[in-house]
Formats: sequence, structure tokens, C-alpha cells
Amino acid sequence: MFIQQLMNGLVLGSTYALIALGYTMVYGIIELINFAHGEIYMFGAFAGLILVTVLKVPFFLAFFLAMALASLLGITVEYLAYRPLRRSTRLAALISAIGASIFLQNLALWRMGAQPYTFPSPFEPKVYQTAFFTISRVEIIILLFSFLLMIGLSLFIQKTKIGKAMRATAQDKDTASLMGININKIITITFAIGSALGAAAGVMVGIYFRTVTPSMGLMPGLKGFVAAVLGGIGNIPGAMMGGILLGITEVMGAAYISSQYRDAVAFALLIMVLLLKPTGLLGRPTQEKV
Amino acid sequence: MINPYYMQLIILVGINTIMAASLNLILGYTGQLSIGHAAFMSLGAYSSALVTLHFGFPFIISLLCGALFSAIFGVIIGIPTLKLKGDYLAIATLGFGEIVRIVCLNLDITGGAMGLRGIPKKTTLLWVVLAVLVTVFILNRIIKSRIGRALIAIREDETAADSMGINSTYYKILCFGVGAFFAGLGGGLFAHYMRFLHPKTFDFMKSIEHLCMVVLGGLGNMWGAFIGASILTVVPELLRSVADLRLLIYGAVLVLMMRLRPQGILGPQTDIAPAIEKIRLKFKSIWHRLARGKT
Amino acid sequence: MTKRKKKMIMFAGVFVCLAMLLAVAGCAPEEAANGEDGTIEVKIGTVGPLTGGAANYGINILHAVEIAVEEANASGELGNISLKLISEDTGGDWSAAANAFTKLIDVDGVDVIIGAVLSSETEAGGPYAMEAKIPTISPSSTAKDLTKGNPYLFRNCLSDEVQAAQLAEYAVEELGLGKFAIFYTNNDYGVSLKEAFETTAAELAEVVAVEVFMDGDNNFKPQLTKIKESNPDALYIGGYYTEAAKIAQQAKEMGLDVQLLGADGLCNVALIEIGGEAVEGIYATSGFYPDDPTPAVQNFVNAYKEKYGEEPDMFAAQGYDAALIVINAIKTKGASSEEIREGIAATKDFPGITGKTSIDEEGDTIKDVLILKVEGGKFVRVR
Repeated sequence: MFIQQLMNGLVLGSTYALIALGYTMVYGIIELINFAHGEIYMFGAFAGLILVTVLKVPFFLAFFLAMALASLLGITVEYLAYRPLRRSTRLAALISAIGASIFLQNLALWRMGAQPYTFPSPFEPKVYQTAFFTISRVEIIILLFSFLLMIGLSLFIQKTKIGKAMRATAQDKDTASLMGININKIITITFAIGSALGAAAGVMVGIYFRTVTPSMGLMPGLKGFVAAVLGGIGNIPGAMMGGILLGITEVMGAAYISSQYRDAVAFALLIMVLLLKPTGLLGRPTQEKV
Repeated sequence: MINPYYMQLIILVGINTIMAASLNLILGYTGQLSIGHAAFMSLGAYSSALVTLHFGFPFIISLLCGALFSAIFGVIIGIPTLKLKGDYLAIATLGFGEIVRIVCLNLDITGGAMGLRGIPKKTTLLWVVLAVLVTVFILNRIIKSRIGRALIAIREDETAADSMGINSTYYKILCFGVGAFFAGLGGGLFAHYMRFLHPKTFDFMKSIEHLCMVVLGGLGNMWGAFIGASILTVVPELLRSVADLRLLIYGAVLVLMMRLRPQGILGPQTDIAPAIEKIRLKFKSIWHRLARGKT
Repeated sequence: MTKRKKKMIMFAGVFVCLAMLLAVAGCAPEEAANGEDGTIEVKIGTVGPLTGGAANYGINILHAVEIAVEEANASGELGNISLKLISEDTGGDWSAAANAFTKLIDVDGVDVIIGAVLSSETEAGGPYAMEAKIPTISPSSTAKDLTKGNPYLFRNCLSDEVQAAQLAEYAVEELGLGKFAIFYTNNDYGVSLKEAFETTAAELAEVVAVEVFMDGDNNFKPQLTKIKESNPDALYIGGYYTEAAKIAQQAKEMGLDVQLLGADGLCNVALIEIGGEAVEGIYATSGFYPDDPTPAVQNFVNAYKEKYGEEPDMFAAQGYDAALIVINAIKTKGASSEEIREGIAATKDFPGITGKTSIDEEGDTIKDVLILKVEGGKFVRVR
């Protein structure tokens, strides 16, 4: 049972990790908690659903198209709701993000209605049985895709020129712009990539659980955010680790403590980690300047 | 005779003013980002309602019990978490808020998922007005005192405040306790007004709503708390006629408000009093001019 | 006078002034607008979640009530009385339901309310209805003792205790199941079902596992893994169709091959759409069977499909019946709130589309419990 639960946690955690990446990338660059990220995840799932069911696009193409569309949405949100506030207080930007999140969620509710939509499964359902655990084909695909996307992102940030520029911007915006980096362009790219990853998570969760609803972004958004902080917000490997740790803790909490306190266990872990290491697991302590 | 619907809105504006004002002390004056304020409200609401139900204490005692319980919790939570800074504190308070909600949902004494029923209705307009005035008065006294100056110093620069000999941990915990006390008071009024409690309403979105009230009105401004609370209580009700577009508009309004006035409706330093004084002087001069013209 | 004192007084003054202003703005509720040609307008208010996570339930009920009101107005069965519908949203939050109730009662001046949807909303709104003496009938709030002590509050839905107990009996006696696991949603609905089912099942057979999930959860594998360890014969799901479909699917994936049982919250075609093969063979209690050949049911199902393009579910059917009960009360007793209340309270063996319905002295409903089974991708009636 323990190993089965570990697998359950890993699958759950990998979707959290993908959502957490979007939060952490945006935070790393502009120090803003992008509350609308959960809604972008929801939008990605809807975009994938419409592409597959209405426009009959093959699944893999739909997957990447949904990511592209979500990138556009992310860029638009940034342009309309965050960019004008870049020079004002962080709290004002936070409220603007919350407003954008409420707006997007209710836009979806208004256009799509509240009933759950069924996501047709692109894969034959198949279950693999091993000595210690069972795992379904969809779960394997989710794990595989999540890890591929995460590795791809790490390579992009470490190896490419744009990735380098992103790291520079995260470290010091003003100096980076003095070095000839177009800050606005970098922020746009960050939102695009973060949103694409959120949409990927949305589509994968859509095919995994077979349903898409306008309010689906709320709880995963919150959990993704928690995962990002757990790993040290702004830190990309931290977000992956945080997501997986959160997923496993949640599952273990339900399995060995009580399913009533499944979510509470996850939040308790968060508080404990923060008390022991106030900047998250992999976060670097910031130097206070007087 | 006041229409009960408007009466209800006034009472809710009052309760929300208490919530926003108490959060303002933590957020606006001390600069500590807390997004678990609804948890203190629910602690105050549940404990005062339970005291009323089980011991039948007079209303004022129940309210104080709720507020005190919430304050004690605020201090207990504050001691470890206030070491955290900025967004890390925010997320810790968020986690704490969710834990309180989940515990309330699963305890027997709180009625769990069935909710707590049969709380007697004791909150009236008079109680709410009194509570608002007492809250604002005490908070104003605190802000204008040595404690308040210490809190503002911590907001401006904690390290500098520390080096000036301000025990920042002590003051932060104090401010958390006081904020939680008044949030608990607001919760107690809410419980005895609604006659029913269920953890669902004290979720993360409720804390966000309180946060929006403070920021919208203007951080570090008691008038701002009142204005923010009034707007965010009344506007959703006004938007009832557009039914399914209600929250859509609400979200757009938040974004637009922040675009047009990121410092909130009243800025941090501005006060409504000088503004009124200015208008009064203007009228006075017009009056004088008119009077002079006559003679 | 110090500056501070002056400011405090000013604050108090402005607060009181604004309070007065708001108070003056709101005059007395509109009186029933009686037309010059002698028609009487009866205002029916509805309260329920039209936004947020529970919006689906509230919207379905509202749709069904709309159909009932349109039919009544078109048929002229009420003579010179015409019905007007005013709907209010709660977002699924009970404290917003309190505002919705007062607004309907004191601003719109409704004569009767159909709502609220969630039990917590009805709990919060019920006292307002009682104070204002406005009869209120909830189509879906199932929490125990909800209507007790409130003569103005009624409901039209299956009692959780009755349906869960009857299904437990059926499962032991007819299906021969012996070891039960219970998996319920952590809200008033789930808790009521779980308690009733657990009591009866433990009496007649054995309950081996009890687990809980949250509304809107997606991933049930941790709990299902635990349930699988306890090796039950049957799994009783106390929750709604979206979650139940996912539970069935995930249980099947994990090789938890047991008889699935559920309550009326499962009875929506979406259960089959989402769950597919995994929900085959599931038994659920229900008050409504959409394939019932009686003309009343078929008329409603067709009207609903035509207007909203989907099959009505249990929520819609109960909402429709609640509206019919109100309309019947107006027809038999009269159009004033007090008369409507008397009419609802006197409902006996009312032939609704969810079966014969009677209202008892506590305002609770007595109606037959059907048992449906999913067979070949359709709900069929087995009892």
C-alpha cells in the first residue's frame, strides 16, 4: 500500500509542479504572485477540449495549440493588468491579479456554463499491474510529459540566450536593462512560457480526470502556489520539488492520518518548512540592505 | 422605518469595516502581509457563538470571549510566523487560514459540515455602530501612540527600526494580537447577526476580500478601511440586477481601480478630514465674498 | 477639543450619515402590482448558486422553475393571477444567501420563495423567511431537521436518512452484499447520507471502511487505496455525480472491482458521460426517473430539452415539482403569502414528476424512493 500511495502522490505532485512552475517563473522575474495562473490552467483545459471535440484537431496538435493559446492569454493579462502597475506597490499589483482571476473565471462561467464538460480520452484506457502498485497509461503519460516539460524548461533557461537574459532580469532588473536586455520582452516571454506550462497541466488534468469546469483552477491554483513557495519561490528546481513533495504529503496525510485532514496536512507541512527554512526548501536567503 | 435589506447592508458594512480596519493595522501600518484574516473572524465567530449557546452569557461577554480567543490565537500564530517576511508570511497565514477552516469543518463542537445552528440574533445596528466606533477609536489611539510609531517604523524599514532599539518582534506580535482581537469581534457580531455558521464562508477568498477592502480604500488609512469596506459590500449588491455578469464586472472593476488609482481611493497619507476642511473653507470664502458683495 | 476627538466625531458622523442615506434610499417594498384589468401578479423569488463551484445545481433548478412558471402563465390555469419570477444568485456562499433572501423579501416584495439550493444557504435564509412570513420551499436542501420549528420553511426532496437506509436494506437483502465501504463528500449532504447508511448497514451487515473527500476534488486514489485494503463487497458514494463518476473510474483503474452504490446526487446523465463504462451497474436511489413514460414526466423532459438542450437531472425535476407545489397552492388556496403557505402545508399525494409528494407537519417531504441502476449506458428503474 505504501508504494501505491507513493505513486499516487507522485502523479498528483507532478501536476502541482507544472502549475507551480508558472507561479515561480513570474515571481522570479517581477516578484508578483500571479493569481490568474489558476485560471490560465483552466483556460488551457478548455482550449484543449474545444480543439479536440469541436474542431476535431488531433490530440497532440491540440495539446500544443492549447499551450500556444494560453501563452497568448497570459501575455494579454500581463499587458492589461500587470504592466501598467509595474511601478506601483506590489499590493496593488496583487489586487489587480486577483481581479483578473475573478474576471477570467466568471468569463468562462458566462460563456461555457457551469456543467462539467467531458474530455474524451485520447488513449485507450489501460492499466499496468506490477508487484507493488498499479498505474494507468494516462498516469504514465502525465508523468512522462511533466518531466519532459520540466527538463525542457531547465535546459531552455540554462542553455539559451533568452534563458540567460531571464536569469539576469530575475537577479537585477535595472542592471540587466543596462546590459541591453529588453526587460519588457523578457517579461512577456516569461508569461508566455509560464502560461503554456499551466495550460499543459490543465489539458493533462483534463484527460486524466475527464472533466473540465470553469471553477477547476481554484484549488489547483492555490496548491500550485503553495508548492512554489514550498520549494522557494522564484526557484525553478524548487517548484518541481515543492510540487512533488506537496503531492506526496497530501496523499500520505490522507492515507495515514485522516482523509478529513488531507488538505490541512499539506498546509501544515508548508508552515513547518517555512518555519525551519523561511525562504523555502531551495530558496536563497536574500541579503537585507539597510 | 428602515428597509431591512438596507439595514442589513449597513450592518454588514459595519462588520466589514471592523474587519478591514483590523487588517489595516497589520497590513497598512505594520506592513505585514496577512492573507488569513478570515480565520480570525471565524475563530471569533465560532467561539462567541459557542459561548452564547452553551453558557448563555450576555452578548457583550460572548463578544469579548470571541475576540479574546481570536487574539490569543493571533499571538500563538504570530510568534513563529512573524519571523517570516513578505510573501512567505503571506503564504504562511494563508496556510493557517485554511487549516482553521478545515478543522472547523471536521470538529463536532462546531457542527462540522452541517454548520452551527440556532445562534440567537443579538447584533443590532446600535451594537455594530458602537463596535465600529470603539474599534476605530482604539486603533487610532494605538496608531497615534508610541506603539503606532514603532509599527510604522517597522513597516518603513524593519532592520533600521531594530537598530534604533525597537523590539520589532514584540511589536509585530502585539499588532497581530490586536488585529486578531478586533477581527474576532467582527466575527462575533457576524455570528450573532447571521444566526448560522458554516466554515465555507471563511475561506481563502474571504481573506482576499478583506485584503481588497484595505488596499482599495488606501493602505494605512482608517478612512480607507471604511470606504473600501463600504464599496466592496455594496457594489456586489448593486450588481445583482446584471445577475450572471456580476462577478465578471466585479473582477474588471478591481483591475481598473488598481490601474487608475494603485494607491487606493484615499492615498496612504491623505485623510478625509483635511479634504472636508478644504471644502468648508471654500464655502466659507464664497460665503464671505457673497456677504461682502451685498454690503 | 483636540484634533483627534474632532476626527473621531467626524468619523462617527459620516458613518451615521451614510447609514441614514442608505436607509432613506430604501423605501418600503413594492406592493403587489395589481393591474387595472384585475390581474394579480404573484412574485416568486428563487435563491441559489448561479456562479461558483455549485452553480450547476442552482442553474438547473432555476431553468426548471422557469419552465413551470411559463407553463402556468401560458395555460391560464390560474385565472387572473400571473406569476413573475425574480432570481437571485448566492455564489454558493450562505452569507450571500442571507442578502439574497432579504433583498427578495424587502426590496422585490416577493410572495413566495423557491430556494435555497444548498442546505447551508437555506439554513441562513430560513429565519428571514419566517420573520417576514414568506413561505419558502427548498427543492434540494436535504440537511437533517432543516425545516423543524420554522412553519414557513418547506422542502421538496428525498430525505437523506430515508434514501440511504432504504438503499442499505436493498443492498443487503436483495443484492446480498455484506461488507460495505462508505466514501462521502464532506458537506451536509454527504454527512447525512453517510450517517444514515452507516447506521443501517452496520445493523444489517458490516461497515469496513469510511473515508471522506472534499467537494470538487479530482484525485481520489489515496482514499480508494485505503478502501481497497479493507476489501469490501460494495462502495457507497455519498456525493454528487461529477465526483462519483471520477471515483468509479479511479476505482476501476485501481482494480477495486466492487458493487457501487449511491444516492440521488448521482442521478444525472453526466455521471454516465464522464464515467463511461466504469459506472455500469451502479445502483442509486432517486426521486426522479427521466424515462418514466407518464405524460407529465415526458412533457417536462421534452420542454427542458427543447429549451436548454440537455436532459433534466434530479435537481431540475425537484425544482419543477417545488414550483408546481407552489402553483397548486395558489390555485387551491389563494395568492397571498399566508394562503400560499397554507396551500403548501396542505400538500397531500401531489402527483409531481418526482412521484407522489406529501408535506408533513414539520414541512418535510414524504415521497417514494426509486432505485435506479445504470445498464447499457442508461439509467433503468429497478424498484
